[in-house]
Amino acid sequence: MNEVITNNPKKRDEALAALHQVIDPEIGLNIVDLGLLYQIDFDEGNKIVFISMTLTTQFCPMGDSIRSNAGQAMQQAFPDYTIDIDLVFDPPWSPERISEQGQEFLNR
Amino acid sequence: MVVNTNNNLVQNTTHKVVIPFYVYAGLSFLTATVLLFLSDNAFTQHYFQPRTLAITHTMALGWGTMIILGASHQLVPVLIEAKLFSNALAYASFVLAAIGIPLLIYSFFQFQFNGIAQAGAVLINAAVVCFVLNLAASILKSKNKNVHAVFVFTASVWLLATTVMGFLLVFNFTKNILPKDSVRYLSLHAHIGLVGWFLLLVMGVGSRLIPMFLISKYDDAKTLWLIYFLVNGALISFIVLFFSAVDSFFYTVPLTAVLLALLLFANYCREAYKQRIRKQVDKQVKISLLSVAMMLLPLIFLAALIALLLFSFANTKLVLAYGFSVFFGWLTAIILGMTFKTLPFIVWNKVYHNRAGLGKTPNPKDLFSESLFQKMGLAYLAGFGLFTAGILLGNTIVLQIASVLLFITAALYNVNILKMLRHKPLIK
Repeated sequence: MNEVITNNPKKRDEALAALHQVIDPEIGLNIVDLGLLYQIDFDEGNKIVFISMTLTTQFCPMGDSIRSNAGQAMQQAFPDYTIDIDLVFDPPWSPERISEQGQEFLNR
Repeated sequence: MVVNTNNNLVQNTTHKVVIPFYVYAGLSFLTATVLLFLSDNAFTQHYFQPRTLAITHTMALGWGTMIILGASHQLVPVLIEAKLFSNALAYASFVLAAIGIPLLIYSFFQFQFNGIAQAGAVLINAAVVCFVLNLAASILKSKNKNVHAVFVFTASVWLLATTVMGFLLVFNFTKNILPKDSVRYLSLHAHIGLVGWFLLLVMGVGSRLIPMFLISKYDDAKTLWLIYFLVNGALISFIVLFFSAVDSFFYTVPLTAVLLALLLFANYCREAYKQRIRKQVDKQVKISLLSVAMMLLPLIFLAALIALLLFSFANTKLVLAYGFSVFFGWLTAIILGMTFKTLPFIVWNKVYHNRAGLGKTPNPKDLFSESLFQKMGLAYLAGFGLFTAGILLGNTIVLQIASVLLFITAALYNVNILKMLRHKPLIK
């Protein structure tokens, strides 16, 4: 799995723990292990968390819902922050981005 | 506070456009099985007769084409990663086809090729023109033109060729606009539709969806292009041979090309299956994969037909078995599988789109009954196998039992669709 870029490794882990609760309904796997997250940056001055993430396809019918769920999960974990989620499709998602745990889950 | 700065998501085609096609198709399948039950004798006689024509067109237009038109409005944006050009054109294609198809089928059933049949043919052609224009405009606007999109667009052009030819055949019954009688052109009309429209489209969409649903890393555009040229080459050579009035032997050329394309496609699906990341394959995808194998059955019947024609021996049972195995076998199997892979997403999105994040939502696959789906699959396999045997044996009792099983298949399919469409949100 590609590493999630961040300017705050400690808070990134906290964010990943929250985002672990967000599941892609079709695949049944959480968005962290699915490799949908690219970047999580914290702007401490303005209290904003910037998240850059993707979807398995740009047309994903669940796209809006997954983004919305990710926003809710982050808001609960960081109530004092504004959550700004950017959907990007370059580079596109590929199955190589699935983590080892994710692959194990899907191979069951 | 959550803010979203961009909206890079490709906008889904609204469910209001897509769902009517699915409902219409389901009801057409049910109608076809009722007609099948009432027409068991038709399958022990020559294929050119009112009930066979009516059933064939109910399956080809009402079932196969309507569901593919509906699904295409949803899936083409997936393939080209761009929004559908026009919802209005999509609505127009539904309304025109929905009125035109019963008019045509009624006329076939009555064996009258008068104004009603002609009006039906005109409306169906208008529907297809709306569809082709919509697809062309969507693809032109998209930056992503891939092999799958080329398959779908070419298939839609062959669909137009099929319906234009059907239109000419209907008018030819009363006005003699073609050099020969309409019956002479039936095999040409049928094969442009089967190979150009259905086969090309199923391969184009299937080659994208099957790896996607299996979460497979497999991708091989070169093989897909080869398949594309084999199928189109086969069809063009078939048309040339048809008008050259050559010996039956030469028809083995397009037949071989299609067989090769099918084997390549089957291998493509096998590779995607082998390289899948998700080990567990759901039943809907299994039925769709089974339909790939079922593509070979019509080809076996066709090869037997050509072999018999070499000895100037026409076998109507084989012709009927061939047509039946295409519409009730291969096409129906793929539709039964793919409906329950695509429609749950459409309904889920309709119901839960604005409720995400408010609580735990069910998964799309929970919107229909798995147990009904299984029963439907069993009834279908038994019904299809028995009916094919009934045609070959010329046994009306076997045909009647099989048609009851196929009716049960269609009824269970419709009940499950209704269950999905009536789904109420579990969170408010």
